[in-house]
Order: sequence, then C-alpha cells, then structure tokens
Amino acid sequence: MNVVSQISTDTSSSFAAQPGPIEQVRYACALGALTSVIAVEGAIPITHCGPGCASKQFHALSGISGYQGGEFHVPSTNIGNKEVIFGGADRLDELITSTLKVMEAELYVVQSGCIPGLVGDDVENLVKGYQRRGVPIVFAETLGYRGTNFTGHETVVKAIIEQYVAKQPAVPKRTGLVNVWALLPYQNPFWRGDLTEIRRILEGIGLEVNILFGPASEGLSEWRAIPSAAVNLVLGPWLGLSIARDLEAAYDQTTLHIPALPVGARATAAFLRKVGDHAGLDRRKVDAFIAREEKTYYHYLRDFAQFYAGCTSQYRLPSEVNIVADSAYALAVAKFLVGDLGLNPGVVVITENPPESERAAIRAAFRDLAPGIDADPLFESDGHKAHAAIRAHPRVGELPIVFGSTWETGIAGEIDAPLVEISYPVTDEVVLSRSYIGYRGALQLIERTYTTVVRQSTEENPEGTAL
Amino acid sequence: MSRKPKQIAIYGKGGIGKSTTTSNISAALVEAGYKVMQFGCDPKADSTTTLRGGEYIPSVLDLLAEKRRVDAREAVFKGFGGIYCVEAGGPAPGVGCAGRGIITAVELLKQQRIFEDLDLDYVIYDVLGDVVCGGFAVPVREGIAEHVFTVSSADFMAIYAANNLFRGIEKFSSSGGALLGGIIANSINTDFQRDIIEDFAKRTSTPIVQYVPRSLTVTQAELSGKTTIEAAPQSEQADVYRALARHIAEHETSKVPTPLSQVELREWSASWAEHIVRMERADRERARAVA
Repeated sequence: MNVVSQISTDTSSSFAAQPGPIEQVRYACALGALTSVIAVEGAIPITHCGPGCASKQFHALSGISGYQGGEFHVPSTNIGNKEVIFGGADRLDELITSTLKVMEAELYVVQSGCIPGLVGDDVENLVKGYQRRGVPIVFAETLGYRGTNFTGHETVVKAIIEQYVAKQPAVPKRTGLVNVWALLPYQNPFWRGDLTEIRRILEGIGLEVNILFGPASEGLSEWRAIPSAAVNLVLGPWLGLSIARDLEAAYDQTTLHIPALPVGARATAAFLRKVGDHAGLDRRKVDAFIAREEKTYYHYLRDFAQFYAGCTSQYRLPSEVNIVADSAYALAVAKFLVGDLGLNPGVVVITENPPESERAAIRAAFRDLAPGIDADPLFESDGHKAHAAIRAHPRVGELPIVFGSTWETGIAGEIDAPLVEISYPVTDEVVLSRSYIGYRGALQLIERTYTTVVRQSTEENPEGTAL
Repeated sequence: MSRKPKQIAIYGKGGIGKSTTTSNISAALVEAGYKVMQFGCDPKADSTTTLRGGEYIPSVLDLLAEKRRVDAREAVFKGFGGIYCVEAGGPAPGVGCAGRGIITAVELLKQQRIFEDLDLDYVIYDVLGDVVCGGFAVPVREGIAEHVFTVSSADFMAIYAANNLFRGIEKFSSSGGALLGGIIANSINTDFQRDIIEDFAKRTSTPIVQYVPRSLTVTQAELSGKTTIEAAPQSEQADVYRALARHIAEHETSKVPTPLSQVELREWSASWAEHIVRMERADRERARAVA
C-alpha cells in the first residue's frame, strides 16, 4: 500500500493514541479486529504479524470478555528478525498458499500487524495477486500502532466490502432489507445476545436484516447481500458511521444513525417507529408488534414494581448511576437507568478513546437522559483517572451503583456500591446469549442489576433484613 | 589475552568518498603494523572492495538469509595487508528494514566475540550516509565505537549530513555513546572550499583532523580496485592518508558535538550562498572591466 493511501484512510486519520501510559487497558490494538473476522461465519483471518500477536489479541478479547471462547484457527506468519530485515512478503505468500491448501473458508482476510507496516511489506499487491486468480481473499491493514480494535474493525469491514462484496455479481434491491452496524463483536461481552435481539425486533416490525456478525447471522451470504439493502442502520454513537457513509455513496443507500442502543420499552418503541418510518413500513404493523412486545414487557415490569417500590424498606436501592464503559453501552445504560428507572446520573466515563471528531456528538447524546437531566461524560481510557473521577464525585444522600468492567471492583467497593459488569474486561461473568438490549435485554439488565444489589445487601448483612 | 580494540566509526553523506577514505585509513594502519578490521555498514556492501582487488565479499546478512544460525567468522575475509573485511549487507532495495539489518550484523559479531578473538587493534565502521534511523545509529551507541569521524566536503548537502550526525551523537552522548573525533575534510582543493568547511567546524567547535585534496591518483587506484596506499604508495596522496591514519591512531579524546539547529544551519548556508553570489558577480564585473 502506498504512503498516500495509508494516510488518507479514514480510520487512521481519526485515530490518535491516548497520550501517556494507560493503567488498566480496556481495548485491544487494530489487529484485534481479527475477532470481527472470526465473528463472520465462513471467514477466517490470516495474520501477518509477530509471534503471539494474533493469539494474545484473540484470547484477550474472547477470554476476559465474559469467557466467550470461540473458534480460533488463525494461521500466522509469526515473523521474526529475518523477515524484519529482508521483508516478510515471501513468508506471507507461502503462508497464504499453504492455508488455501489446508483450510476451507468462504473468505480469507489477510491482516497485517505492526512489523510489516514498519518495514513496508507490500501486502496489498501480494493479496491482489491471489484476487486476480479468483481466490476469495481480502487485505486489511490493521497495524497495531495505527488504531484500536474499534478502528481496526472498521478497516476490516471496509476491506471486505471493497474487495469482496463489491466483486460479487450485482444483486437486486430489496426495499425492506437493512444492514445493521452496531456493537463491536467480542469487545462487548453481550454482542451475541444483543445482535440476536436487534434482529428479532427488526424482523418483528417486518424488516429483513443483515445482522452480519455472530450466531444470529447467516454469515457471508448476508455480506453478499449488503448492496441489496435500502438502509444502513448505525446503532451506536459512532462505530460503523464511516462504513455506512461509504456504502451510501457506493450503493445508493440511506443511513439511519441512532446513537443510543434501545433498552426497555420506551426506547425500543421509539427506535422501532423511527426505523419503520425511515424504511417506509406500515405504521400499523410496527405498532402492532410494539403492542405485543409491550404486553409481555410491562407484565414483568408491573410485577417487578412490587420489589422496586415496596421493598425499599428492606434493601437500599441505588439512586445514582456511575458508568465506566465504551460509549455505546455507556449511553444505552445511562438512558435506561436515568430515563426509565429514575436514577440520578453520577460519573460517566467513556473508555474506548473514540475519534476526536465524534466526541461532541457523543457528549450531546448524554443530554436529556430524562427531561432536563444531563450527564457530562468524561473521555478517559486510563483506569486510575476514571476511578479518581468516581472517587472525587460529591455524593450527598445518594446510594451509588457502578456499571463497568471488572477493573471497577476496587472503586465500587470503596464507595460501597454494587458493581454490574457490562464493559470490557469482564471476568466475573460468564456470558453466553444474554442481552441487555431491546425488550428482553432490558428485563435481563434489571434482573442482573437488582440481583447484584440484593446480593451485596445480604453479604453485608448475613443475619437478615437490614435497615 | 584479548584486549579491547579501538573502535572508530566513519560517517558521511553518500558519494562523498567515505569508503575510499576509510579503506585508505585501514590500509595505512595495517601498513603501520596494526591489526585492523573494516566493517562496512551499508546495504550496498561495497565498503571493502578496494581492499580486495575490486572483489565483493558475502555479507553477514547474506549468510543470515540462508540459515538461521550463523557463524560470524564465515563473514570475515582477509584483504590488503591482512585487513579483516566484513560487510553487514542488507535487504534488496525497497524491501525490509536495512537499519535492523545493520543492528543484527553488528550484534552478531559482538555476541560471537569476533573482535576479541582476532586480537584487533582497530575496528573501523564505514557507515552509510545520514543517520536516517536507529539502525544506522548503532555504531555510535553504547559499547560499539568510541570515536566518530565524519567525512565531509564543502558541499552544503554534505555539511547538512554531518550536522545531522552531530545531532545523533549528541543524543546518545549522555548514555555512554560514542563521541565526536572530528571532521575529515574531503575534496578540498580551493581556499574557498576550505573557508566554508572551516567556518562550519568553527561554528560547531569541531576539529578538522585532516584535509584531503581531490586527486586523480585516488580515482586511478579505485578503478584498479585498490586503495591509494596499495596502488600508489609513493604518491603525495598516500602520504595524506598516512597522516590521516596517524592522527586517528593518536586520537585519544573525543567530545560531545555542538550541532547547529535547523534554523541556524539554514541561516548559515544562506549567508554563504549570498557570499558566493557576491563573489561571482565581482568576478564577472572584473572580467568585463578587463575586456
């Protein structure tokens, strides 16, 4: 890849490393986006990087993120001193050829790491050679120093779209088909369940969905259908926006950007109506689905109300929500806890170092969580500073609760707050299909939140009812 | 008993006569009875050709490209007067990282204690052009060379390269790196060239170790694949190189350089440029007056 095209890549121009050292990391490097490839059924990554890079990134993102596990069969060049000096392109050539012999896949995604970027291996041309021979293979330049696994995800997705999807035979437009660009696979421990719920509710209102990643996706056949879609739904504060903009230009699609992932009946109904209107669906059909879902949802919520309203004499229910998470979940959880459950916003720390250009919009999304109630998020990847902010926050007459990662165990203890683990890294939760999004997810979030509250209370007062 | 050889690095802009100068220093030192190794640190691997009758030798990295484990002795070849010739070598142009190659080659010889085993008096590193990256700074870092000399002509680009080298040395000087021995002023034939290089030396408080005039003898020797010391031992130019080698052999104390800043360097060269224009104009007017 020549220098000019490297510099003009969207993700790299918007990426700036957090200055100074970071205590308690909360994301991986761009190569970590190999998890996004693994999340696509039928695709495998081929990594061109030093020994250990690929496996460390995978295990960091899948293991200490709710013990998700997953299929890690990733060929790597494992380059060393020799390839640094003489260049590693030959070694990669050899690896691709061998991989094609022994590993079957619908799509191969070559990802280069730091070393090939530093020594200038011409990976792009090498991969193009295979493309010319009809091999379904793409190249994504996921140099570790050029971004995080968030920006790396966008790089990988764009590579698949530009080098694979665009080369497929033209497909007819399907007006009810939506491409969903939402949570970052693996980084968010609940992505599998959440994408499943998003698919369920969108299909519920009558849309067809390319959910693209995870068990709810049909894999690469969905990717090949990306150009058929009418709408790109970007669900989250910023991730996927630049992908949608590219698609908009290439395939005459529209982009619907909804910064807050919907949690709970109010937000989900509003979300579904907005998507339905944008896609030109019959409003009555949309409302009918919402009504069905709400019937169940509010049934549970009505019953929960007895605990929530009546049991406050037994349990000290939290009144102030503090969040340390990626912007997507921070915003979703803040809106639900403040807007629906009526808590006051405490400290909100956004940890994924989002691009500078998106920060004003993220900040704006935290206004009016409930009418007239704002949160002012702090953009901070460093755990020490995040905790200092939570510690320094004045709390008079408030009972705090923390939504964060396992890193927040200490600070939650310090301020005597229950901790609900929602963000990377998560080592005190085993997560399979659980979701915190939509109708069903919201109920699970309530369950987990108040189970945590009750447990903490009984652990502190093992003899019986307190207060 | 092995002893520590005196290690010297010679830097300078490409094409300035660095390898020619280095090879002649090596030749003069070996002629004076010392045991010398010349270590070419350039991917072109052509530093030692005039010590071997114009012949190229396989480089350390050539060996490394073939096998994982390398006996560095296989990369040491004897040249004129028994000079040990080594070339670091490097990748093909446009691929890989030549800097990392230099680091690896130097480390390999150091690890395998080649310098000690050969019981050398001098190791002379002939290093490619500018200090473009960390790899080419290796010889000036801790534990390799103690003294650095730069070959420079009165050409501004050569002086820029020398000044960049001074900056590199300054950076490593606080952590036990090599210090600056001085400037070898090459291809200096006119008073004017001498003025320029002397002024730069004065501004940076750097000694000029030797003036080496441009000479046809050198070119003739090169073309026959030899150093001037070998090809024309009786020549005046050979004596110049002998004097240079003597100065380097006797050189004991190097110091931290005081490079010019980017701005100072630009202002300095601009002032000389103006001076040149003024002089040329005066020459032309004088010529017209005579006519």
